[in-house]
Amino acid sequence: MTEATHTVKSYEQELERLRGLMARMGGLVERQTARAVSAIVDRDEEAAAEAPELDPEVDSLEREAEALAIRILALRSPMAVDLREIVAALKITGDLERIGDYASSIARRAMKLEMENNLSLIGLRNMGRLVQENLRRGIDALTQRDRDRAIEVWQSDTAVDELYTAMFRELVTYMMEDPRNIGACIHLLFVAKNLERIGDHTTNIAERVYYAATGEMLPSVRPRGGLGPTTVA
Amino acid sequence: MSVLAGDLREAMTSSAMIAVKNLDFYYGQHKALHGITMDFPKRKVTGMIGPSGCGKSTLLRVLNRMYDLYPGQRATGEVMFDGRNIVAPGMDMNRLRARVGMVFQKPTPFPMSIYDNIAFGVKLHEKLSRAEMDARVEDVLHRVALWSEVKDRLKSSATALSGGQQQRLCIARTIATRPEVVLLDEPTSALDPVSTARIEELLDELKKEFTIAIVTHNMQQAARCADQVAFFYLGELVEIDSTDRMFTAPREKRTQDYITGRFG
Repeated sequence: MTEATHTVKSYEQELERLRGLMARMGGLVERQTARAVSAIVDRDEEAAAEAPELDPEVDSLEREAEALAIRILALRSPMAVDLREIVAALKITGDLERIGDYASSIARRAMKLEMENNLSLIGLRNMGRLVQENLRRGIDALTQRDRDRAIEVWQSDTAVDELYTAMFRELVTYMMEDPRNIGACIHLLFVAKNLERIGDHTTNIAERVYYAATGEMLPSVRPRGGLGPTTVA
Repeated sequence: MSVLAGDLREAMTSSAMIAVKNLDFYYGQHKALHGITMDFPKRKVTGMIGPSGCGKSTLLRVLNRMYDLYPGQRATGEVMFDGRNIVAPGMDMNRLRARVGMVFQKPTPFPMSIYDNIAFGVKLHEKLSRAEMDARVEDVLHRVALWSEVKDRLKSSATALSGGQQQRLCIARTIATRPEVVLLDEPTSALDPVSTARIEELLDELKKEFTIAIVTHNMQQAARCADQVAFFYLGELVEIDSTDRMFTAPREKRTQDYITGRFG
């Protein structure tokens, strides 16, 4: 969306700074997620160590963005598109921080995971790839304030949910086949769950970007594919 | 956005106390309003915003034909109020102004006592006994939350009151003639924040009984007080919608640019 600039230049600069903080957070959590997936599916120890190391920086950016958003709310009395962008920023930075946490959690689990057995990681690799792709496009939608891309991201989380349901079934099957798989499969189940949660937070970001850009909310219920894990279990 | 839609519906379906249709207004050769069409819903607050010279005060002055006092000013179109077009010839101006009261930017107390400030207008339209007039004065002073502050000095000069008190007295004077519509032209721009809050609180009370139109340069004030907001620019009505909608997601780019501070 192209906007004229504010008459008060320092206001414009504050909004730009807020966008910059979100973009940096986005870049960091994208990297965390990529490293976390790599840690699991490529058994990359270096990647496993790196993802959690980025957490403090993500947290500190979130606090900085929150303080700036509150300052703008208090001092500028933002209206209309500005108000929506700032409220969206408060929520989006929360979502980004959670994504970073989930990625770190996956990476830490990778360090603990002992997989002598040859369980297939293809499903998790596919899920990881899709979640990363959605996250990347979600962050593009955010930085470009692109409502069309936001809708695409919002819709494509259905595929992540379907992959998660499939993963759940697959891992339950491994556990039933051989109880010695249970330890590793529980870890992998949590990894899949965390990836699914990253997908949900990416969807939230897309919803917020859409709201900020248009002033309209996307419907609260997105048509979900597949069976939820609770019905499977 | 079901909440917004609900508010919008309520604001729009409330029956119009004043219905403006295709209104043009001229200051001599200069056309100051271009084809304005909008409703002022009954017992709602309509906020009017826009940069200086946009026509918002002009429209307010049409609603009680204040412009008649100045030569060369004329309106064409329709302003329907109680079944009559008030901009058409043949209106009884005194009667109209009793039914459509007005409060101005600067408090304008008459140089007389607090009591007489209120009684003056009432006497022009009604024959009341002394007791009835006392009751009327007390009633309107209660309603503008001024009674406790002035009850012991009703006979002293109104000009000795503070600015905020004077403005509340002017509102009391306006509602004392029992109008149906109250017009306010930037009523708090000369007041401190506490007095401003008192007036805004008062509007909430008054709208239970009166239809209110308020012109304000203070966007937050329009957001706080109004049920619907109209944005004017260069003599045109650019957008009118529920207050929620106008300040969170206006439809027109010009509205958005104005309320977010992007007008160069």
